[in-house]
Amino acid sequence: MTMGKARKYMAIVALLAAVALVVTGCGGSGSSAGGGATGAVKVTIGIGAPLTDGAVALGKGMVRGANLAITQANASQEVKDLGLTIASVEGDDKGDPTTGGNVATQFASNPTLVGVMGHLNSGVTRVAVKIYNQANIVQVSPANTAVDLTQMGMTNYFRVCANDAVQGPAGADYAFKTGGFKKAFVVDDSTPYGVGLADEWGKQFAADGGAVAGREKTSDKDTDFKSLVTKIKAAGIDIVYYGGIYNSGALLSKQLKEGGVNVPLMGGDGLFDPEYIKLAGAAIAKGDLATSVGLPTAQMPKGQDFIAAYKAAYPSDEIAAYDAYSFDAANAIIKAIVSVAKSMGADKVTTTEGKKAIIAAVAKTNFEGVSGTVSFDAHGDTTNKAITVYTVGADGAWAPVSK
Amino acid sequence: MSYLLSQLINGITLGGLYALVALGYTLVYGILLMINFAHSELFMAGGYVGLGVLKVLSDGAVATGPLAFMKPAQTFFNSGMLGFVALMAATFLISAVIVGLLGVLIERFAYRPLRHAPRLAPLISAIGVSIFLQNAVLLWVSSKQLPYSRADGTAFVTSHTLLKFGGVEITTMQVFIVVTSLLLLLFLDTFVARTRIGRAMRATSQDREAAGLMGVDINSVIALAFFIGPALGAVAGVFNGMYYGSVKYNMGFIPGIKSFTAAVVGGIGNLRGAMLGGFLLGIVESLAGGFLETGYKDVIAFIVLVLVLIFRPGGLLGEAVAEKV
Repeated sequence: MTMGKARKYMAIVALLAAVALVVTGCGGSGSSAGGGATGAVKVTIGIGAPLTDGAVALGKGMVRGANLAITQANASQEVKDLGLTIASVEGDDKGDPTTGGNVATQFASNPTLVGVMGHLNSGVTRVAVKIYNQANIVQVSPANTAVDLTQMGMTNYFRVCANDAVQGPAGADYAFKTGGFKKAFVVDDSTPYGVGLADEWGKQFAADGGAVAGREKTSDKDTDFKSLVTKIKAAGIDIVYYGGIYNSGALLSKQLKEGGVNVPLMGGDGLFDPEYIKLAGAAIAKGDLATSVGLPTAQMPKGQDFIAAYKAAYPSDEIAAYDAYSFDAANAIIKAIVSVAKSMGADKVTTTEGKKAIIAAVAKTNFEGVSGTVSFDAHGDTTNKAITVYTVGADGAWAPVSK
Repeated sequence: MSYLLSQLINGITLGGLYALVALGYTLVYGILLMINFAHSELFMAGGYVGLGVLKVLSDGAVATGPLAFMKPAQTFFNSGMLGFVALMAATFLISAVIVGLLGVLIERFAYRPLRHAPRLAPLISAIGVSIFLQNAVLLWVSSKQLPYSRADGTAFVTSHTLLKFGGVEITTMQVFIVVTSLLLLLFLDTFVARTRIGRAMRATSQDREAAGLMGVDINSVIALAFFIGPALGAVAGVFNGMYYGSVKYNMGFIPGIKSFTAAVVGGIGNLRGAMLGGFLLGIVESLAGGFLETGYKDVIAFIVLVLVLIFRPGGLLGEAVAEKV
């Protein structure tokens, strides 16, 4: 082969590699929303969520929920009068703490960015929240449930959902007292979310009088549970608890039932997504249980209004577990931005004093959101501690259990 | 005892999958002395192509619009034993051929131009191909994990219990995987050892230039290796989807590393070694998961790799290729 020809092919290969790199780079960011250029002062809210890896279905729902709130805010007279335009920027954390740290650094270097709506995974927040804290950026999560996140002394951190100390035990109480299950096998996915939830569930199940026959760790990227299933089968249990998200959870449920372990799989809010039933198959997922924070979207105080607005904005998308919470979380930030713009002037919002004032304003949040009253205690935890247990019904959809 | 046997069966099945993928690594290495890092993505591509073929041939929800003409064919594929066998044959053949051709294409455009470049260059090129394929699937197919089933949630292949003794169960799916991988190894082994083309492959592996001077068409031989390896990987990809129940754009990474490990444990470049390494790794992993903590199974598997490499640096069966003098 001549040198010239080799160069030509090298160029093609290099081009392909470059395209691949650009493609990976682009997958992460990209901005959207914002109802056109209404005001002179641009304020940005970052949306941090898993968009290409991890719990993608939940992450994309978060983006839709938050963008709906931002679009509505931009259309409101109040925001227009203040001369503000609220923009959003997405950061793809892939459900991975390292990537999440990069997203946080990117957000923190954005001069107009004053708040972050996200992240989904507690492990990601644990890294990202410190970066936001240094940059005086407020973070409101719709979904983090790890207990310790509000005990880390991060004054800029808030969440609108109840944590695992509420969710895990509520699930265990249901399983033992209402469900009548006596002997459990507890599995987690080795993420801070999964481990925390599984620990809390196991503790309460044992305290209620149930027996925990085994406790195993898997990885959140595992797809092969065959050897674990054989182990669980030998343990002779009547319920399996899985602390983790639906990608692996659905496969565990499927392989359990294919392996002859016909007991329900229970999990937390990470399983509570239509994607879980699609992956496992409706016939297999039937009877599986999941707790989720708050009330079903349709039963929330303003749920019907939210569903109507959501369907108008995204006619082809289903509402995922955190969309309403993301809407409320984004609104908590928006309301703080508006109140600071009123008291300090719109042009001061993106200054350091403005950002500090926004954090203080979010701490005093008190409004009627979709999920109920949105307000935070001294640690940044929500005061709304509702938990609902869902089960997969014969129709192949999650439905709240009748108590 | 029955628990040990059950875990062994899990391990042998997993080993069959590793072995199929490992054959692809070892075949390419034997001939080009190059590690095809894009092989794990060809395994993934096999999973996706297989899912596509299965959907077109047997998912009623797909047979609408331009594909409505598939309706009668689907009725055939979904009825009776004959239809099922035809469905499986078509799925595996089409997936293997498409992914095999993809392998040839990759060799032609990403590796052949670099054949005389320093050894690092094709390696980097392989990593580039791997990233490209992952992102192509991510952007053009889906970033989500997709279920390996029809739109209504029914599986394409229902696994039945074939044998049951004591507490041990062997399913049709497990037998299907292990038997297929053994047959494919037997076929490949015979092909390389007994046929004319096989001899050309061995000659190319021993001394590429001399083989070329003796009239062996080097490019075709290498292209053939890049067809067979990915085709076997594709078969493993389809099995993986059916057995574990889903596909995802980055699903190739971990099995890819494990299979590469299996090829090294067996002695890279040696076909039977790849098979042995695959089964060994699968069994070790299953037993480690079954008797220790599930979280440790990968650790144990890689400790085995380290031990083998310390005591037998060339792998268990060494390199079958004769030393160049």
